[in-house]
Amino acid sequence: MRPKSILFATAAAALFVIPLLAHHSFEAEYDFNKPVKFTGTVTKMEWMNPHAHFYVDVKDENGKVTNWNCELGAIPVLLKQGWRKDSLKAGDQITVEGFLPKDGTRAMANARRVTLADGRRVFGGSSADVGNQ
Amino acid sequence: MSAINRAPKESISRSTGSGVIAAVCSACAALLVLGFPGPARSQAQPPAKSQTKAVPYPGAVRPTTAPPPGPSGPVPRMRDGKPDLSGMWNGQRPLPNQPDPEMLPWAAALTKERTENYSADDPEARCLPGGVPRSAPYHTQYVQTLKLLLMLVEGNIHSFRQIFLDRTAHPKNVGQLWYGDSIGQWDGDTLVVDTVGFNDRFWFDMAGHPHTTQLHVIERYHRRDYGNMEIQVTIEDPGAYSKPWVSNRVATLETQIDMSEYVCNENNSDALHLVGK
Repeated sequence: MRPKSILFATAAAALFVIPLLAHHSFEAEYDFNKPVKFTGTVTKMEWMNPHAHFYVDVKDENGKVTNWNCELGAIPVLLKQGWRKDSLKAGDQITVEGFLPKDGTRAMANARRVTLADGRRVFGGSSADVGNQ
Repeated sequence: MSAINRAPKESISRSTGSGVIAAVCSACAALLVLGFPGPARSQAQPPAKSQTKAVPYPGAVRPTTAPPPGPSGPVPRMRDGKPDLSGMWNGQRPLPNQPDPEMLPWAAALTKERTENYSADDPEARCLPGGVPRSAPYHTQYVQTLKLLLMLVEGNIHSFRQIFLDRTAHPKNVGQLWYGDSIGQWDGDTLVVDTVGFNDRFWFDMAGHPHTTQLHVIERYHRRDYGNMEIQVTIEDPGAYSKPWVSNRVATLETQIDMSEYVCNENNSDALHLVGK
């Protein structure tokens, strides 16, 4: 049986019924003390293992554009949350709330929340929200 | 920022569990508010300080409530009358209030070291198998025949376990394997899986509990009804633990999605950034 609903319709409920565990420890890579929020234009979705990524062009005050690499959760987790390979398309205007890596890598973030162009604010399947056993 | 460095063990279990629940509830509440939260900003900028939320270190998280049950219904049976465990099962989830393991000093010290380093050296993060019996977010497809139970493992790597139902002894010189050699026998409607022949490389969990090649795992699988599996795991390893470590888990039947192709090494860019402390 396959889901008839698409895109996040069951995301809130799903959080309570599935074990949101991570491929790796969040704090081994990212820093809760380095939150970041930005808005930009999606350039690419990488629907790959072990974590999906998407890329966003973000323009700064001087007009310089930086392409941000944003990490999502593991695909099996994302599927349960309603994400699909084409959930984000090149050209979509979105806002990302997440965290920066500890190692100082520039223009990379763990995407904890994504606000879509239509205003929906959805989970990124981030290991920031998960528990591990 | 590990809570482990600041709080006594007993309080960690309670505080981290409730912290996760609070975080999830808060997040869900935010999700249900579907309106756009404010005008879009066109540049990266630091958020308000209040957005910095202390989230407990995952390795210390303990469940405080049992997971929601899976679908009900009668237990499917094989033609010999034994329960048929076949189906796609969600990852095993521990029940609340499970006992802590009693570790030998070296194992306790190593677990502490791994935890305090945020599990940066976890083999699973390098796309190595999770071994037995690590919980994971991935699914497992059980395929049962009269002589063999196959567990097709979605992740951490695409792999499989073989549980031989038609023999009662392990072969000599099994070797040192990620999944060991497994034999299964029925105790009433419970399948008792006995596994030996492990390497010492995988961690039991993200906290980093270790083991040695003396590891002996006994799993008891009881399909309580159509969509709910009770699993009791006993870890015996005199090289690392002073007494058997028994934990109880559940798995629920997944009926909404199919197994994913999960080729962990496809793009494991995280491994380059796992710096730990």
